[in-house]
Amino acid sequence: MRVVVRTVSELCLTLGVVLVLFVAYVLFWSGVRADDTMRHEIDRLRERWAAGAPPEPVPYPYGRPFSIMYIPRLGFTWNKPVLEGTDTATLKKGLGHYARTARLGQEGNFAVAGHRRTHGDPFKDFPELRRGDAVVLTDGRTWFTYRIDKGPYKTVPTDVAVIDPVPRASGYTRSGRYLTLTTCDPEWGHSHRLIVWAHLAATQPVDAGEPEALRR
Amino acid sequence: MYGWIWRHLPGNTWVRALISLVLVLAVVYVLFQYVFPWAEPLLPFNDVTVDNQ
Repeated sequence: MRVVVRTVSELCLTLGVVLVLFVAYVLFWSGVRADDTMRHEIDRLRERWAAGAPPEPVPYPYGRPFSIMYIPRLGFTWNKPVLEGTDTATLKKGLGHYARTARLGQEGNFAVAGHRRTHGDPFKDFPELRRGDAVVLTDGRTWFTYRIDKGPYKTVPTDVAVIDPVPRASGYTRSGRYLTLTTCDPEWGHSHRLIVWAHLAATQPVDAGEPEALRR
Repeated sequence: MYGWIWRHLPGNTWVRALISLVLVLAVVYVLFQYVFPWAEPLLPFNDVTVDNQ
């Protein structure tokens, strides 16, 4: 009897310790790993661009980074790699481009998803985004400056039309060069999604230096 | 359970303590490297897309 009680209590204690470790993993360690991975992906991109790599093929290679995103509103040091695809494994390494949406800077809707929490918390401050905020991307040749027109807009997880070429509820009525960002809402939940929409406001070659939105 | 493990470890107290430490670290490593990455997508924090991929 004593042996049984002791074993059960030992198992309970062990389970408790494992759960605490799991919370530490989700809250802390996944972020450490993700920050490390994202930095590595950005380094890889910059090396490739510095070596004069050819333009990205059509479509972008799945699961590989092809762009770096900067959002000054989320912090002047905020920059994340954008990878092709939005599956779980890809989103651990950075932001994910919805593979069926338009290419960066092209006519249509360039839609990108990112984690709100865990895995580096890239879109933690998503609700801070405001109309007029810049979302800057580069593909190593060109700077693309998008300006946010609407959002954050709260919707349900099945609302696929928000990443349509002319997104539903965005206020856009004609086709154009748009950007959509999606993340989850509430911060630690998955009942809703937050969306912002932006339009392409300016482009400039990388040789011309950083766009105005990135200068302090 | 732990008493049983302790009794079955070889060596004197110090050796057993050292082996125990190594075993604990090995378990934590397996958890962080394999078990938690598998379990984490079961939590809702990964649902950030609108087409549920």
